Formats: sequence, C-alpha cells, structure tokens
Amino acid sequence: MLEERIRTILLEARDYARKKGLNTEFSFHRERSSLIRLGNSAIALSTSEELTRLDVSVLSGRRVGDFTLTADINSLEQLKTALHQAEENCRNGLEKDYDPIFGMVEETIDDTTGYDPALETISSQSKAELCARVIKAVKPKGNYDFSGSWSSGSTEMFYITTANDNEAYRKMTDGKLVLVLKERMRKWELAVERSQKRADEFSADDIALEFETLLPIYEKNPGYKTATGTQRVLFGPQAIAELVSLCIWGGFLGRPYEEGRAFTSKNKPGDRLFSELVSIFDDPANPLVFGMPFDFSGKRRRLFKLVEKGVFAGVCYDSQTAAKYKRERTGHDLLNWNLVFLCGSGPGELEAALRLADNALYIPHLHYTHLPDPTKGLFTGSSRFNALLIRDGKFVAPIFSSRITDSISNVFNNIVAVSSAAVTQNQSSTYERRAPEAMAVPTWLLCDNVRISDVADSF
Amino acid sequence: MNMDRSLEFSIRQELKRMFDSGCSFADARFYDEDSTERLVLYDGNLEANYRRRERGIGVRVLKQGAVGFAATADLDAISACFDRALANAQAAAQLLGFPKDMGRAEPVKGTYQPPFRQDPFELPLPEKLSLLKSVDERLKDKTVEHRMVSTHFQRRRIFYFNSEGTEIERSCLNTFAGMVVMAKDKEGRTQRRSYELDSDGTGTRGFEWLADPKAFAEHAERIKRELGEIVVSETLPPKRRDVILLPGQGHLQVHETIGHPLELDRILGYELSFAGGSHVKPEMIGSLRYGSEKLNAKVMVVANSPGTFGYDDEGTPQHEYYLIKNGILVNVLCCRLDLAEANAKAGKVVVRESGASARAAGFYKTPIDRMTNVCVEWGDDGTLDDIIKATEDGVILDMPVSWSIGSNREHFHFGCEIAWEVRDGRVTKVYKNPTYQGHTLEFYNSLDKVGDRSTWRLFQVANCGKGEPNQIMEVGHGVPVMRFKNVLTGEGR
Repeated sequence: MLEERIRTILLEARDYARKKGLNTEFSFHRERSSLIRLGNSAIALSTSEELTRLDVSVLSGRRVGDFTLTADINSLEQLKTALHQAEENCRNGLEKDYDPIFGMVEETIDDTTGYDPALETISSQSKAELCARVIKAVKPKGNYDFSGSWSSGSTEMFYITTANDNEAYRKMTDGKLVLVLKERMRKWELAVERSQKRADEFSADDIALEFETLLPIYEKNPGYKTATGTQRVLFGPQAIAELVSLCIWGGFLGRPYEEGRAFTSKNKPGDRLFSELVSIFDDPANPLVFGMPFDFSGKRRRLFKLVEKGVFAGVCYDSQTAAKYKRERTGHDLLNWNLVFLCGSGPGELEAALRLADNALYIPHLHYTHLPDPTKGLFTGSSRFNALLIRDGKFVAPIFSSRITDSISNVFNNIVAVSSAAVTQNQSSTYERRAPEAMAVPTWLLCDNVRISDVADSF
Repeated sequence: MNMDRSLEFSIRQELKRMFDSGCSFADARFYDEDSTERLVLYDGNLEANYRRRERGIGVRVLKQGAVGFAATADLDAISACFDRALANAQAAAQLLGFPKDMGRAEPVKGTYQPPFRQDPFELPLPEKLSLLKSVDERLKDKTVEHRMVSTHFQRRRIFYFNSEGTEIERSCLNTFAGMVVMAKDKEGRTQRRSYELDSDGTGTRGFEWLADPKAFAEHAERIKRELGEIVVSETLPPKRRDVILLPGQGHLQVHETIGHPLELDRILGYELSFAGGSHVKPEMIGSLRYGSEKLNAKVMVVANSPGTFGYDDEGTPQHEYYLIKNGILVNVLCCRLDLAEANAKAGKVVVRESGASARAAGFYKTPIDRMTNVCVEWGDDGTLDDIIKATEDGVILDMPVSWSIGSNREHFHFGCEIAWEVRDGRVTKVYKNPTYQGHTLEFYNSLDKVGDRSTWRLFQVANCGKGEPNQIMEVGHGVPVMRFKNVLTGEGR
C-alpha cells in the first residue's frame, strides 16, 4: 500500500475534486533510481534520483485537460494547484467530435509482488564490486575495455479517479545490467545483458563465463563480411524483442489500424498473417515480464492475444482510440506492456539451435530499428553485439555490422523453428520517468530468406 | 542571482562543504521552473492538451577522480542530496580507471535570456488553440484523410553554481511546431507530407514565430499539394544515383552521422551499452578525412535555435568552432570532464577546450556530451535550381520518415516522405517511399555540391535521445542543400 501520508493527501484531493464536480483522474508515480555507468573498465558515473510525479486529468463533456507536476508532493495545496491547472486546460480546451472515456478503477488492486526492498536500496558499492569481479576475471585475457551500465530502483504507481472509491496501486523493483567488452584494436564488441527483479539474481562468475565462451571465436578469427541478399538468420533474444516491438508498433495499435496506416489494416481478426509458429500475447501474468495489473484508465489488465498461431487475434485500443472509433478498451492506456512471444518446440540450448541452423548468421541484437514503410511493415536495423557466422552448425567468426531491411511479414512467415526455452528481455527506459518493461521471448528464432541490405567494413 | 536567498545560501554552503570534504569539484543546477506545454490537434480533435511543471535540484561532485550525481525535488533535503552525490562518487572511486578531471576554469558570472517577444506560457490557451485551429482548417482538403497540427513549448529558469565560484542564471524558451497531412496512395498505403517549424537562423523564439503566417501556416497549402503528387506516384525504383538533400532531410543526416559520432563520450566508449560508439578514435582528431573539401561542419551560436542557451551545464560560455574544416575532422563535441582522457588516449593534444557541450535534460539528469547547433556551412554552388541544373541523374529528398544508423555511426539507412526525380537538369516526376543508405565516410566524401545562403535552413530536433539514465534533448542544425554522388537509393525485393 502507498505510504499513508501521500495516500491521504491524494484521497483528500479526490474528495476536493468531487466537491467541485470535476471528473478527475490522479496518477501518482514515485521512483527511487540509481545507476552506475561504466567506461574504460571503470565507473564513469554513479547517480541516484528520488522523484515524485503527479498526473492530473480533468474531463468535462467532450473536453479534456492534463497537468503533470514533478515536485516533492507533501500538501493538499500542491494537488489543488495541479488540479486547477488541469481544470483550466480542460475548460479552455476544445470539444472533441466523440465522447472521451473517463477513467474508472474497475477493482481495487494492491500489488507489491514484484517488490524487493533489497533491490530498491542496492548500493552503488555492491554494484561496483560485482562489476569489478567480472572485469578482473576477463580483462587480463586480452586487450579489452569494459563499458556498460547497471540501473536499478523501485517504481510506485497509484491511480484513482472521482468515478468511484477504488484504488489501484503497484510497487515493484527492477534492474538491468549491460556489460560491453570491447577489443581496443579490432573494435569488436561483446555484450552480456541481465534483467533483475530481485537483488541477488546476478552472479559475476556466470557473467564472466558468458564472455569467456564467446571470446575464443573473436580472438581466433577475423571479421567476416557477409554478402547482401537473402540469408538464413538465427535471431537471439534482444533481436526477437525488437522484431516483436516493430510488429506491434506497425500492426497492432488501434489508431493506425483503424486509419489504414498499419500493415495489418487490410486484414481483420481471424486472418492468417504469419507462420503458425508465431504467437504474440500481452500477458501481465507471465512470470518473466514486469506484469502490470492495471492500466491508466483503471482497467484490469488480463491476457490479451494479438497473434495466435499466426492468426490475427486482436488489436489494442487505448481509451482515446476506443472512444474515437467506438471500440472496447483493451487495457492499453500505458506505455509498458507485458509482451510474450510464445516458445516453440525447438531445442532450448543454443548449441542445438546452431546445429539446426547449419549455415546462417547469428544476430542476437538489432540496433536502432525503424519502419521506413509502416503500411508494409518494412523495417530496418543493423546487427550489433555478439553477431556471428554459423557454418556447419558451429560459430566460426564474428560478422561485420550487417543491416537487415525486410518486412515483418516476410520474417515471421519464414520461420524454420522456435526455441522451447524462454528468457526475459529487459526493454526498460528511463527517458522521463522510470518505466520498467520486460518481454518474454524464446532464446532463439530461426528464419529463412531474411534480406541483408548492406554490410559495413567494420564491427 | 534572482532566486530564493535561503536556497542560494544553502547551495553555496553545500558546495563549500563538498570542497572542504575533499571534492576537487562540485556543482549544482537548481531548476526553479521547467515547464512544458503540448497541444495536438488530430483531425480537428484536441488530443493533447497538456502542461507539465518540474522543480528541483541536481548535484554533481568529483572526488578522487570519480563522479557522483544525485537529484531531488525536495528542496528541504538539499544537504542529503549532496551527501548522496558524494556517496555515489566514493562508490565510483572504488573502480577507477582514468581519473576524471575538470581542468581549471576561471569563475564566470553570467546570465542568458533567449530572444522572444511573446512568451507562449503567458498567452491564454484559447489564443494558441485559435492559431492551431486556423492551420487545421487550411489543411482540410478532399484528398487529405488525416491531418495533425501540433506545438510544443518549453520554458526553463535555471541557476547554476559550482565550487570554482561560477554562478549563472539562465532562461530558456523553445517553440516547436509541426503539421502533417496523410492520405492513401493508389495501392491503399498511407502516405504523409509534413512541415516542421524552421528558420534561417535569425528571428525570435516566442509565440510570435509560430504566429507568423510565412513561418508556419502558409506551408499548409504546399504540403497538401505535394501529398497529392505523392499519392499518385510510383515507388522510387532502386539504383545508384545522385542524391540532393533538402535541409528538411539534410539536418537529420548531419545529426545522425556528424553530430552523434563526434560526441566525445561516444568516442571514448561511455555510451557503448546503449546509444553506441563512434567510428572516430581520439587519435583521428586533426587528421581524419571525414568528407570532401566541400564539407565544413561547425558548431554555431545561432540566435533562433534550441541549441543556443548561453552557457552549458558546466558554466562554459557557448562559442563557435569547426568540427570539420574542408573535409578534415578538426574537433569534437565535448565537455570539461573528458578532455584529459581524450588527449591521453590520443597521445597528443587533440582537444584543447570544452566545446560547451555539457547538457542535461532536466534537474534530475546529469550533464553529458550533447549536440548544440551542429551545422554545415553554406557553400558557393548556388541555389537549389543551380544544383538541379547541374544534375544529370538524381533525386531530391525531403523530410525523414525513418532513420536507422549503425551503432558506431559508420553506416545509415533513411526513409523520406518525398523524392523528386532529376533528369538532365530538370525535375521530371515525384516518387513515393524513397529510401537511401550509405557508409558515413564514403557518403560525405561524395559531397560535391553545397548550396548557398539562400538554401540554408535551421531545423530543430526536439527529441534527441541518448545517455544512461536516458535523456531527451533539443538541438538545432543549420544546413544548406547538399548533393552527394552515386548513392544507393530505393529498396530491392
């Protein structure tokens, strides 16, 4: 439950709004964040932020006004000021040509299952010690430098509206560690990523071992410049998560779908879109994601199927789009979903996947993806860390930075096999406020006929 | 300083306390106000009607060669915030590589205020909406299926203090705006044409800029007309050809493949785990042929740009300098903190002074190397018409649809809204879905025409993402029309 002092102020603000006859949504966000940033095998920066934000939204008829305050929230007067600003925006705003949906918390939720006090307060010192152990284990073995970052913290979200007395609360912790090893002369980069929900999940030995497993391939072989054209590609977890994000962004959001801007706009639920090996769900109950039990219209979030066995299952509607196009809200008034790409029946181990792939490119990371033509689902992005050439079922050489420019449909219709093992792929960002997000994806995805559009002369 | 006296006193006391406790440097940025307003009209509906206000303090200390940062919105807890920054520095000092060093700087006392006549935050909302509605009306057309007009205002009041005695009071005011029209082409695919508020670098930054019909509203008719041409056109056929970038596209090309790779923190490897590195190494500064003799890239101090702010977040006054002179890389974007490391790694002095590039996106973000106004100087190859007349086989490209760049900025792929084919010195037809890709150094070395002052426009980028913790920053890029030879355009398959 939210700290009683803050909760009391927020409930008083709700009462105040009710007395003034204002349909009001209050969304409270508090983060305790810390991060260490590494460069040149040292800590370049250590930060900590304690921030509180309040979003207030007022709806009157067909008018809506919003206000966000980032400040230490400690008095009803502050909330009244924020409320008055949102109310003023609403009053002076323009009427929409549809009836906006006003938020209402469907049921009271108090979710602290993802909260670990030890992770909330994990010290920069203990982070530094773990990183130092990894660096000490690996660095002497070559001409290496380590970079990276380790972000951790807690996020509290509390959402109430004047529509009823229900309260939605969630407190959680999350962490993400990325360590990058760079060879000083040849400039190749290896990365190990970890996502955490609890403080004690990381092992320096495991991280060091993951680096050491790949290092011989990089040390013994020059970079390989693959040909442009179509290739068999074995995608790894981060690349799969990128493909899923592009797929959702380009095809499954309500507004672009309704307006003919999605690559699925000419389809309807029930149509076959992809190989039957593709199932993508938004599932807050999946244990690998940072499950979000409610959205910021108060809707209880439950399993929502987007693609099931290659068949178009559903489109996501936030309340604004649902109101505009007279659809049902689907629990997507939030940025951080709980996406899951369902596993297949392929072997879980990477070694077995390599044998299955036989001759292919291994691309575990896709960097800086974008959609040049969303209406066709055309995407582009380039390989980054740990990208390797597979020959006769084995890793034989690192590959130079290679660009894939292809359509989501082509990639997801040319799947050869999908791993039976799932992993968490942490997709969190801290651009404005702490926004933990993780996707559950198979450990690998093998696809034929993927278009390599360009290859650099370097890693 | 025009701020709360007791707060000012507290900050000075805390800086002294940090210095007395062994810190070689400490600074504090107090944001008395950081306000944002966003208004979006989509098909006539006010879909964003939003204001945000932030207030707080960010503190940075340097101890034993390590940097610690902390931020809080609780102004009664400033002392604790300094303590957390100090603790963070002490933790970082446990795993120390190249000790960080701010160097020496004379204390600066200064103020900065951007040029503006009408503060948009002081205007009644109906007045701003009235302008957006009038533009929205102009965008209506039987061929337009969806339209959007948006504006975004920022106002900041920042007080900077450091342990060297520098004290700076700054105000910032930014106005961003754009308009988009969309319609389906003959294949049923949605196409778009847009305009973003730009300038010739002069003028003022307030609401009056947006309200000037020539600056904004009058572009509505042009983008409608051009959308009409796009939707009946064919997709650009793939092949190698000359590419003429209008500033609407050229500014992003420069942003992604000159600006980002020349940020010193990327060059030194501090961004590897997120934004990426750079194909530039410290020892290349001063000798790398980045582009043809025609390429002159410069950090400019332009009156009307979000990349102009008087002093950076280390108190360094903004000044102009070349990054690339006659095609040779001569400098990079840097702050005080990394100069010594860059020079040590290069084995010689390659960076002599801070480029006033230390910028933080808010009180709760730490300053990092950022772009300010990374511009390409105009050349002497005439007007756009002159460049078209000199082109046998090429396309003119404008406004980005997509951008994807290699992690070391060594290669890129861009999609644009519109292409005009140029054959034998004439514009012959419009193509849709244009894309082009290339390798950075090869691309800039193929630069063979640079337009004159009449072609130079300053575009604003309001959403440059970088850093951990992540930061969104606003920058400016002034660029002329540029022609590049033999570029791979269009998509196969």
